[in-house]
Amino acid sequence: MKRVLIVDDAATVRMYHRGILESAGYIVEEAWNGIEALEKILNAPFDFYIVDINMPKLDGYGFLRELRQQVVPQAPAIMVSTEAAATDEAAAYRAGANAYLIKPVLPLQLLSFLSLMLGEASQ
Amino acid sequence: MGLVRQKTAQLEECEKPHLEGDRDALWAALEHSDASGRRQAAREIAHFPDCAARLVSRLQREQDDAVREVILGALVRMNDPIALSGLVDCLRSEDAALRNEVIERFAQMGREVDPTLQSLFKDPDPDLRIFAVNILASSRHPDVESWLIEVIEQDTHLNVCAAAADLLCEAGTEAAIDALVRLKARFASEAYIQFAADLALKRIHEI
Repeated sequence: MKRVLIVDDAATVRMYHRGILESAGYIVEEAWNGIEALEKILNAPFDFYIVDINMPKLDGYGFLRELRQQVVPQAPAIMVSTEAAATDEAAAYRAGANAYLIKPVLPLQLLSFLSLMLGEASQ
Repeated sequence: MGLVRQKTAQLEECEKPHLEGDRDALWAALEHSDASGRRQAAREIAHFPDCAARLVSRLQREQDDAVREVILGALVRMNDPIALSGLVDCLRSEDAALRNEVIERFAQMGREVDPTLQSLFKDPDPDLRIFAVNILASSRHPDVESWLIEVIEQDTHLNVCAAAADLLCEAGTEAAIDALVRLKARFASEAYIQFAADLALKRIHEI
């Protein structure tokens, strides 16, 4: 089974995404900021990352840059944010995101992106 | 004791700019290529009453964490309209780390942040209104619940209401029940609002 790390400082958002992913059979872990996420990754990298932008201590851009430069350059990552500005989306791709989704993410939308990026026929 | 007092006085004297003429030199130093020079200049410039705009301008371009820290602290301490307006402008920055630093600083201001919050909640940009909710989330503001109820009752933007509903999962009491029920009805087809409002209601009923 594929392992997914949700990186978001909002507990309710993490629970929402966890529910969607676990119901589709993914193994889910959570981190509330980029620093905690990097610590979890050092123990065991994940197959997929769902990352918020605005977080304390280390934001989503900073986390993705670290992820790409030092830890697991290839693992797919979706950046999710409430911010719809084109500049935020461009910054997300520059930091290393494979996709940028505006919150709130619909369950089917999230699962479709995961399935597509993990190269799965279905989950 | 006399020696200690004298040394303290000397140190305090060193930290203050001596002459009005220092201002130009300090403003030049604020643009220095060396970060420690900029940090020192920022500390000293903060003694001038009309320096907020200059500090805000530097903050919006500053990449060094320690210099940013000094400037943010100085602007919050000034707590004047130019300093606060400059901090709000930083919330519009593309620099996510700067936005988060400003949110944390506002969150530490206690009730002094109220006029800024009122202004942020009226901002036409929904991202700014979400940051206002984030300030409440990071602070221990005594009126957090009443602010959040007002948001979920009045704000028309899905994500602003979602952020407020998130926080009501932690801060909500019986006073928020009716507003949460109305929020669910207002955004009946939005899965996330249903999830967050249901979670908040469940937790309130568990209290």
